[in-house]
Amino acid sequence: MSEINNVSEEKVEVRSLPRIGSKAPDFEAVTTHGTIKLSDYKDSWLILFSHPTDFTPVCTTEFVGFQKIYPQLREMNTELLGLSIDSVHSHIAWVRNIKKNFDVDIEFPVIADLDMNVAGKYGMIMPEESSTEASRAVFVIDDKQVVRAIIYYPLSTGRNMDEMVRLVTALQATDKHSIATPADWKKGDKVIVPPATTTELAEERANDDSLECIDWYLCKKDL
Amino acid sequence: MTCVNDKGQLSPTQRKLLEVIDNNSLSIEKISEQTGLPMFKVRSNLREMNQNGIILEQDGLYRINP
Repeated sequence: MSEINNVSEEKVEVRSLPRIGSKAPDFEAVTTHGTIKLSDYKDSWLILFSHPTDFTPVCTTEFVGFQKIYPQLREMNTELLGLSIDSVHSHIAWVRNIKKNFDVDIEFPVIADLDMNVAGKYGMIMPEESSTEASRAVFVIDDKQVVRAIIYYPLSTGRNMDEMVRLVTALQATDKHSIATPADWKKGDKVIVPPATTTELAEERANDDSLECIDWYLCKKDL
Repeated sequence: MTCVNDKGQLSPTQRKLLEVIDNNSLSIEKISEQTGLPMFKVRSNLREMNQNGIILEQDGLYRINP
């Protein structure tokens, strides 16, 4: 799934992103923890995220942030896997530098995607911004290896770690309870009951005292 | 990427895997549970050790190549 665009008279290959609900593109990649395949993560949830470059300030704060949420994610059967267009030796040196400067051990693997194989498959390169660095992409992949959510940030802006945890929590709650989650939902808040699909069900819903209904199409309940 | 270092030794993770497998035939889930290692790490290391002939796999169970 690719096309050739003319950008500044140079031919740059632009690949489209995997879509939400599609099977996550398979890969085998060299990482700081050895060679890893996407299929190694089956039965676990995975946050696959890219960063532009090792040894840069915003990325360093993000790595410290990702490591801080890693134990919480692991309790949610969710793994982290980083990626950038750097060598594994650069990753190792950077991870050791983070340990030295921040006293933080980066425990998750980081893909050394020098040939841009994985970044290409996941559309992590935004050529108009940089053709040699990955943007700040996040792919939430579920335990059946399906893409469930995608977040993109530009090079200049660090991501929000609470949102990563909130997003996975919400997706897992949706799977477990067949519900949806409202804006700014957090664990413990009321959830949204799927809207009624017939007038009969709408009437029943409107009169259901166990639900908190603003109207027939917007009803909430406790989990 | 080889699982042995320049002295021909296995990585600490792989030594841990061998200790747990010992004389048994174990599933990935069981090995993960007994080592405390995440499943992805058990899978990727066992695959490498299988390719190097250190570990054998049959019907999803892993044992040391005698």
